[in-house]
Amino acid sequence: MRSWLPCLGLAALFLSSDITAADEQGPTKGAVHTVVIENMQFTPAELSVHRGERIVWVNKDLFPHTATAASHAFDSGGIAAGSSWTYVASKAGEYAYGCTFHPTMKAILKVQ
Amino acid sequence: MKCTTSLCTMILILAFGATSAWAAGPTDPQIAAIVVTANQVDIDAGKLAKSKSQSQDVKEFAQRMITDHGAVNKAATELVQKLHVTPEPNPTSESLQKGGDDNLAKLKTLSGAAFDKAYIDHEIAYHEAVLSALDKTLIPSAQNAELKALLVKTRPAFEAHLDMAKQLQSKLSKSGA
Repeated sequence: MRSWLPCLGLAALFLSSDITAADEQGPTKGAVHTVVIENMQFTPAELSVHRGERIVWVNKDLFPHTATAASHAFDSGGIAAGSSWTYVASKAGEYAYGCTFHPTMKAILKVQ
Repeated sequence: MKCTTSLCTMILILAFGATSAWAAGPTDPQIAAIVVTANQVDIDAGKLAKSKSQSQDVKEFAQRMITDHGAVNKAATELVQKLHVTPEPNPTSESLQKGGDDNLAKLKTLSGAAFDKAYIDHEIAYHEAVLSALDKTLIPSAQNAELKALLVKTRPAFEAHLDMAKQLQSKLSKSGA
């Protein structure tokens, strides 16, 4: 009976390493990038991601903002204060985007 | 830019009045009243512009002022309640109110392109005056750290609004409006 215990431990090790391997195999699916909207700015102002990755815009200002591509490839609509909006980048390209409420706010999303 | 008497008075009071009225600068309750009044007069002007302007650009700008300054006032009101500070009317907040009332009275006599121009010109002067007051008087005088932080946090919005108003002013003058 005692001889089984190391085997069980080993199985558990394999199991956990399998899960890790699965996560690492699909970085383009699992990766999440955050853009903070605060002080009337997108930070980082330029972000590069791979296709299939998620981008979360978090609005830390007191009032609503949007993340809207100039090409309208994506448009969050109003993101309320303290809320966020998630977008999965599906098509490669370089997207200039900004806040439609505050045209002075501009940034770039690069999808590879 | 043409400077009306009420506007000049408001700018002077905002920029310099507070410092001369109080050698040591305004207190936190006085700053709270100045902040709430400053935001409210711009919300009121925005409401008038939204209902009266014929320009979609001006209406959108006005809505942005209503939303953003409304949010700042909501945050300011929540903060002063939390801090148990009662906003204390003072010469600066009273002059701001009067400047806002005079601006509304003037705007109500105008229409069309003249209304848009007067509204946007005043928005530029107003945001410049508030930025100056924030930098020279309000932020340096604020004693409570959270009140000071709120003032600092709202500054970029006033700056963006000023840029937006300037861009709109230029667009209106190019369109011959």
